[in-house]
Amino acid sequence: MQLFLDGIFLGSIYALFAIGFTLVFGILDRLNLAHAAVFTAGALVGIEIVTRLGVPIWLLIPMVLVLGAVLGILIERIAFRPLAGRHDAHFAGLISSIAFGAIVLSVLQAMYGADTRRFPADIFPRTRVEILGATVSLLQVVILIVSVSLMIVLTWLVAKSKLGRGMRTIAENPHAAAVLGLNVGRISSTTFALSSALGAVAGVLFTLNVNAASLGIGHAVELKALAVIVVGGMGSLPGALIGGLILGVAEVLAVNYIGSSWRDMVAFGLLFLILILRPQGLFGARKTREV
Amino acid sequence: MLTEYSSLITLIALTAILAFSFYAVLIAGQLSLAQVGLASLAAFTSSLVVPAEPLFGFIPPLLIGIVFGMCVGIIAAFILGLPVIRLRGVFLAIATLAFGEMVRIFLINQSWTNGAQGMSFAKLVGIEIAWIALAVVAFWFWRLSGSRMGRAFAAIREDELAATTMGIDVPRYRMASFVIAGAVAGLYGVLLAYFSRFADPNEFSFTAAVDGLVTAVVGGVTFFVGPVLGSIFLSVLPEVQRVVGIDAGWIRPTISGVLLLVVILFLPGGLSGLIPRRRSAKRLIVDPSERPDLPALPAPGTELVRLQGLGKSYGGVHAVRSVDLTVAAGEVLGLIGPNGAGKTTLVNMVTALTTPSTGRGTVLGIPLNDSTRAHRLAQAGVARTFQQIKLFNRLSALENVLVGGYRITHDTLLRRLVFLPSARRFEREAVAMASAQLIRVGLGDKAANAAGDLSYGDQRRLEIARALASHPSMLVLDEPAAGMNHVEAGRLSELIRSLAADGIAVLVIEHNVRMMLATCDRIMVLNFGEVIASGTPADIARDPKVLEAYLGSSGSDADADAAAALAAEDLAEATARSVGEHERGVSASGDGANESDDTQPEGDR
Repeated sequence: MQLFLDGIFLGSIYALFAIGFTLVFGILDRLNLAHAAVFTAGALVGIEIVTRLGVPIWLLIPMVLVLGAVLGILIERIAFRPLAGRHDAHFAGLISSIAFGAIVLSVLQAMYGADTRRFPADIFPRTRVEILGATVSLLQVVILIVSVSLMIVLTWLVAKSKLGRGMRTIAENPHAAAVLGLNVGRISSTTFALSSALGAVAGVLFTLNVNAASLGIGHAVELKALAVIVVGGMGSLPGALIGGLILGVAEVLAVNYIGSSWRDMVAFGLLFLILILRPQGLFGARKTREV
Repeated sequence: MLTEYSSLITLIALTAILAFSFYAVLIAGQLSLAQVGLASLAAFTSSLVVPAEPLFGFIPPLLIGIVFGMCVGIIAAFILGLPVIRLRGVFLAIATLAFGEMVRIFLINQSWTNGAQGMSFAKLVGIEIAWIALAVVAFWFWRLSGSRMGRAFAAIREDELAATTMGIDVPRYRMASFVIAGAVAGLYGVLLAYFSRFADPNEFSFTAAVDGLVTAVVGGVTFFVGPVLGSIFLSVLPEVQRVVGIDAGWIRPTISGVLLLVVILFLPGGLSGLIPRRRSAKRLIVDPSERPDLPALPAPGTELVRLQGLGKSYGGVHAVRSVDLTVAAGEVLGLIGPNGAGKTTLVNMVTALTTPSTGRGTVLGIPLNDSTRAHRLAQAGVARTFQQIKLFNRLSALENVLVGGYRITHDTLLRRLVFLPSARRFEREAVAMASAQLIRVGLGDKAANAAGDLSYGDQRRLEIARALASHPSMLVLDEPAAGMNHVEAGRLSELIRSLAADGIAVLVIEHNVRMMLATCDRIMVLNFGEVIASGTPADIARDPKVLEAYLGSSGSDADADAAAALAAEDLAEATARSVGEHERGVSASGDGANESDDTQPEGDR
């Protein structure tokens, strides 16, 4: 039970990161590899804000959301929009987002150096509670609550709001959406903003969980998020949630029963198997080709 | 100078080799991130076989390592390719990335690699060996680019489905590009390990894969010098910054990031796109004596296609129900019917792009069933065009037609590698054949234009030329006159008649009924997936069921009756006129009957 809960907590962070990733892919059909840099930026800037200003954690989350959103808009404007209409936009977007991510990371390096940084020790009460025979910290519970509620809000936005309808229309056919008078550029920006806001908050929560942040943390999570969104189904929001939780639990179990050196094999083995057996993922729809 | 920078210069060559490994898959439109994983496998396993002393006294240890490493790369790429080759785009990238990470974790957990502590290698690779290896790899890709195989890769990159209907076995070529990339990756792994004298599996990480990909893309994947340029650019950049005195750790990655962004945003073809060059095969060869000797087409009247009760249903929807049909060499069979009647589904079954649900069919002796693959039919001599034009948009018109000639040309890669004169002769034959087709459809003056830049009507004609370049026994045209005015449609009609006179069986779908009446020997009318009429153009024009299909339920009210009667007169008149013109060898022109519905009683399509 303890292992299972630990897996759920870890998985909810993976899911929060992955859901932003998959949102952009599902709606705009672009893989944004700068997402990892946003994650790192959320973590490092979050630490800076808390250390300098001493803001409490409940105020930090909205601030980081805004930071992420701004970064998201920049990514869309700089790395993706200029490529619109190019035959290799898909591919060039991968590279330009890698470049943008590298720039963000180097700026972070300039600001904070390459050392590992931590939140102040007293940022969060170290209360522990017993649930179903397992010990969990209050922090873990908060992480779970924050990430799940953010995901619920996002899912509601996409499913019900006017903005969400616009997004789904663009996902279906961007040209038709533009003809219908939708502001495709603005909706794309908003999509990136939402996606990056979640990514930045995921960075804060991840850092709170392991209490260490460095420039490299984004990469490891990015690889796992790729596994998560493939397992869940590219572009599927509930898929990313379930995929994240599955991966979290599977990793914790693997560490316990097989050994930590083989831990990452679980993510990639799972990813590989899913791609071979069910390329559309657990919750994805298969696209058919047209002649 | 040279000694100071010798390790940088060696690394440029090695990085370029890694970039070539990505180039090999990118030219076939595949994004694989497995390359560093394959390199890692090759590097570490080669340490198990490389002897300390020359084998038999004269075979250098490094050569053994290189050969072994390339074999490991080939075998591993092949085994990896078996399951992943059917994945596309991002999915392929992620699957291969997962493979790379799995290799890394596997090697780290092995005792013979010393795990994360790393492993020492002898220093066997210096500046000369690295550049010789790069020269060999670059030479291979240079000779590949103008060969039939290189054209097949480009065709697959541009449009897989169209490539299949040219007779290209797409999975096999995709696998070939995978395996070539694996061999180059293996070479890179071995060279890198025996150059840097030390390797640990963590060096062959996702980041390293991304760096390799970035190098290939920055250099550009449309020209074989791209990987070299990318490598020089990205390797020299930090060095230049160091020399000019930029020392802060963060400035270098910032500048590199910005430059990468600038290259990718403003240089779509990468750095190699800046090099002005003669586009290959730009000039037409019009001398008929240079054309290849072609096998004879089946004798006119030979039955090429026989369908019996062929049908296709999607879920509960019957797109085509039980169609019986024969097509003979030298005849033009027209297929008409309202939108959604099942015409395209039927020709997709005939060209094996769609598997029939019921019934039997044989095309050029090949039965149509689950295991019939479209490229096999194409190789047997079926060529087609598409309702939604499927050209290789970034290739020139002539290059498009050259790909079309895949079936009747020889693979020239091996000959080109050793500069055999026959390679040049075969290439000239292919160009001569393609030129003849371009001129035949009237695009001789647009050979060098990119296919995507041509006008709509020209694109339709180019598709026909591309189909003809395969010297087909049977040609399937799906709405070839769409977007053409009636003068152009008239010329097209003449072209189709002349193809039939050459002995080609032509199966044509078209909404331009006037043109169809003038062009076809027989016409079949489909509605709701069923054949409602079949016969000579004159019979079809008078068939009441045909009129009803086109005009809706006649007889329900007086207006519809009147419209039907008018349309019937119109059709009959058009037939009489066009049959007459047909006999005089002049195609139909002018306005008159319209075929598709009663909301647009006049005007041309």
